[in-house]
Amino acid sequence: MGRRSPVGLWIGGLLLVAFVLAVLQLAARLPPSLWSEALLQPRLSDMRQLLVHFSWMPRLAMSGLCGAALGLAGLLMQQVLRNPLASPSTLGAANGAQLALALATLYAPTLLAASQWVAFAGAALATLAVLLLARRRGFSPLSLILAGMVISLYLGALNVLLMLLQPQGLTALFIWTAGSLSQNSWDGVRFLLPRLALAFIAVWVLARPLALLELDETGARSLGVSLGRLRVLALGIAVFLTACVVSSVGVIGFIGLAAPAICRLLGARSFAQRLVWTPLLGAALLWLADLGLQQLASERSELLPTGAVTALLGAPLLLWLLPRLRMGAAPAVRAVPSSPAPSGPARYTLVVLGLSVLLLGAMALLLGQGMDGWSATLDWAVIEWRLPRAMSAAGAGLMLALAGTLLQRLTGNPMASPEIMGISAGAALGLMAMIFLWPAAPLLVRLAIGCLGATVTLFIIIGFARRQDFSPERLLLVGIAISALFDAVQTLVLSMNDPRGQNLLGWLSGSTYHVELPLALVALIGAGVLLSLCLPLQRWLTLLPLGDSAPRSLGVPLARARLMLMLLAALLTAAGTLVIGPLSFVGLMAPHMARLLGFHKARGQLLAAALLSAGLMLLADWLGRMLTFPDQLPAGLLAAVIGGAYLVWGLGRRA
Amino acid sequence: MKRRAFLLGCLLFASLSVARAEPGATPRVAVLDWGLAETLLGLGVTPLAVAELENYQRWVAVPAMPAAVHDLGLRTEPNLELLAQLRPDMILITPQFEAARSKLERIAPVISLSIYRPDGDAYANAREVTRELGHLTATADRAEALIEAVDVQLAAMRVALADQSIEPLFVASFMDDRHVRVFGPQSLFHAVLTRAGLSNAWTGSDNFWGFAQAGVEKLAEPPEAGLIVLRPLPLNAERSLASSALWQNLPFVRAGRVYELPPTWQFGGLISASRFATLLAGALDD
Repeated sequence: MGRRSPVGLWIGGLLLVAFVLAVLQLAARLPPSLWSEALLQPRLSDMRQLLVHFSWMPRLAMSGLCGAALGLAGLLMQQVLRNPLASPSTLGAANGAQLALALATLYAPTLLAASQWVAFAGAALATLAVLLLARRRGFSPLSLILAGMVISLYLGALNVLLMLLQPQGLTALFIWTAGSLSQNSWDGVRFLLPRLALAFIAVWVLARPLALLELDETGARSLGVSLGRLRVLALGIAVFLTACVVSSVGVIGFIGLAAPAICRLLGARSFAQRLVWTPLLGAALLWLADLGLQQLASERSELLPTGAVTALLGAPLLLWLLPRLRMGAAPAVRAVPSSPAPSGPARYTLVVLGLSVLLLGAMALLLGQGMDGWSATLDWAVIEWRLPRAMSAAGAGLMLALAGTLLQRLTGNPMASPEIMGISAGAALGLMAMIFLWPAAPLLVRLAIGCLGATVTLFIIIGFARRQDFSPERLLLVGIAISALFDAVQTLVLSMNDPRGQNLLGWLSGSTYHVELPLALVALIGAGVLLSLCLPLQRWLTLLPLGDSAPRSLGVPLARARLMLMLLAALLTAAGTLVIGPLSFVGLMAPHMARLLGFHKARGQLLAAALLSAGLMLLADWLGRMLTFPDQLPAGLLAAVIGGAYLVWGLGRRA
Repeated sequence: MKRRAFLLGCLLFASLSVARAEPGATPRVAVLDWGLAETLLGLGVTPLAVAELENYQRWVAVPAMPAAVHDLGLRTEPNLELLAQLRPDMILITPQFEAARSKLERIAPVISLSIYRPDGDAYANAREVTRELGHLTATADRAEALIEAVDVQLAAMRVALADQSIEPLFVASFMDDRHVRVFGPQSLFHAVLTRAGLSNAWTGSDNFWGFAQAGVEKLAEPPEAGLIVLRPLPLNAERSLASSALWQNLPFVRAGRVYELPPTWQFGGLISASRFATLLAGALDD
């Protein structure tokens, strides 16, 4: 690095600011004359020295190490996958590690003696799942990120399920999910430092071949690099780093994404340059975030977990980065008609689906547990309580399935869905605010606020997308950023451990408990009306996935058609989310299941997805009420768990 | 002297478990909140149904819930089908559970009582709530007796402790091995400490429910303070605290001023206050 590049100046500046902040904070804790004593040989009788030695210093070291490790992990992932948005959090690795650790904590605490390997297994499995999902689309940058998003959401759903099933582990899990850097010994540093050093050396050795990955595939191969092994090795190192960080402090959002991306934007062109600067930038970013947070916390003496806060700051950053990133090769996300509908669905499939939904509906209403065990009943005093739940579950599922089908056809991307577009997240943000600002608000007010949140989100999305001529890729990426923002706020709120968080958890995870009969009626009728609105649009829906030129030549008003379909999808999503919360996933899964059953044409897919989704939600709601009676599990969550498993199986089978 | 306060507390509990209302005279009450449920038991009224019995066992523990009580399911989502089949005369909730009110009202009259609210002192609120519960369940005399007994217990404890200078105390429960929930001025524990002539070492802010979340290192000041730890301890916390250098060097750990108490409901009423006082007196005595 002979010549001075601006990246060095910038990062040096940031490090200097962090250093000054740290010195100022240290000075506020301890007179400078005692610093060396406190650092090397703290006097046990002086609490200030003990705090500096066993809490403040290790925390400072830990945030630097974690930042550097995540930066390095992100850099490796981006380099190997040639994807500027790859990172431990966007590829599901962090969530995978976290879930594995949570499972071990609750069910096999002895495994925690090797916690980094538990975390590694989880992170590796999650990453592997993401890669498998993205493989069919040639690892295009966008499909990889979308697959990462799907897996992250799914792991998040499982995590919430754990929290609901095991409330005694709840508080610890909340803090962990939120990533608190607070330390009370040097053990964390002693654990992380050698592992980071080892990883760094390994990457340094691999630096030359890794740099070659920037060339295209054939170029690199012609230079005699064993691509497959190199990729696996480098990804393995990245996943290991992520696992180490998660197992020592929890999930720290976005540093792994931001550090390499910013480094590149600051002008670090060569891989060697980035290898030096990215870990430093990661450390600087996490130092700034954590020192700033400690400054705030000392005034309010309340705990704000650093990981959730970096994620909160990261979402706007991602929005800012989006227009500035070049997505490598032209994002090939148009639906490749991989198997051009070999055989249509059997003619009676729709009828069977319809009958199944009716049957499930009857079961949901009539069959269940009560004071004296299982029974089938026609007693209105009992059915009265089951009816709104069954109706709203079916209605919400139907609407989300329609939204998902519209979005997947609109964007030509099978990973698109209302959950992933961020509209459910927008509605959820509004409703979450209500729980804290006006907990006893009447349902109608809450509905209005939720709609407001969804609409604002929609306009942000449209605002960003308009600049790119409603390009579906950008649309989805904006959605990802908004979902990430929501996720951060949610984690932050839950980690505050306010008992009101419990209320929130119920709705967030898709409980139909609070739905009243009128709303349920509206949901079901609304779903029917919107379905009838969607069906006439089947010509657009058939043509749009073919790309830009084909529909235009056939006379489809491209921009207007997209805008209309988007608005319709947003409306469907908002309505569905208000009933069932942001977590259900049916919007993503139902269109897939329809396709797996052979419904490739727009009309058939819409109808089949709607029926499948309604049936799935009915089943999920019923199971939720019965599995842990008298406790109840949220329908959205169960739908996510059941449907998600089916989806992964189905995609795997086709791959 | 302290022993006397302790014995008084035990006596109070003994008398509570003897007092049972004769069947038929009291209404069938379904309760969502554990603070209200324990107070009912304190009045000798066995509730018809209580939410989350398993967790009640873990977090509240005493007074034990009679086996006849039905489990209503989650506190935030009480099972409505079951509740309708149980046909209660009234449903007791706290403002936290208002979201379910409109549904609950279709089953039985809903009464919302709160001990924890932005205004007032938790102990005074707890007395008021006890009085109202007595009124609602036709056990007004017993309510007055309970209030009187806990007042007397705390006054006796104050007298018993007056001749010794006891350091300020933190009251905390561990969330994981690095973080505690520490109780501040709005909490019931704070109210008990002050009434017993003790002082709360936590001078930072607290929330609506009377607690703040903090890293354990925040408990280093003031150095003369003692620490009361409420069980249950979270998974693995015990082991990792034992190996934590900072924890081992915190003033109260080194001076042996850490008092572990069995589970006591952190958001309870008079019964929890009395239990806390009894356990505290016992712990300080040892």
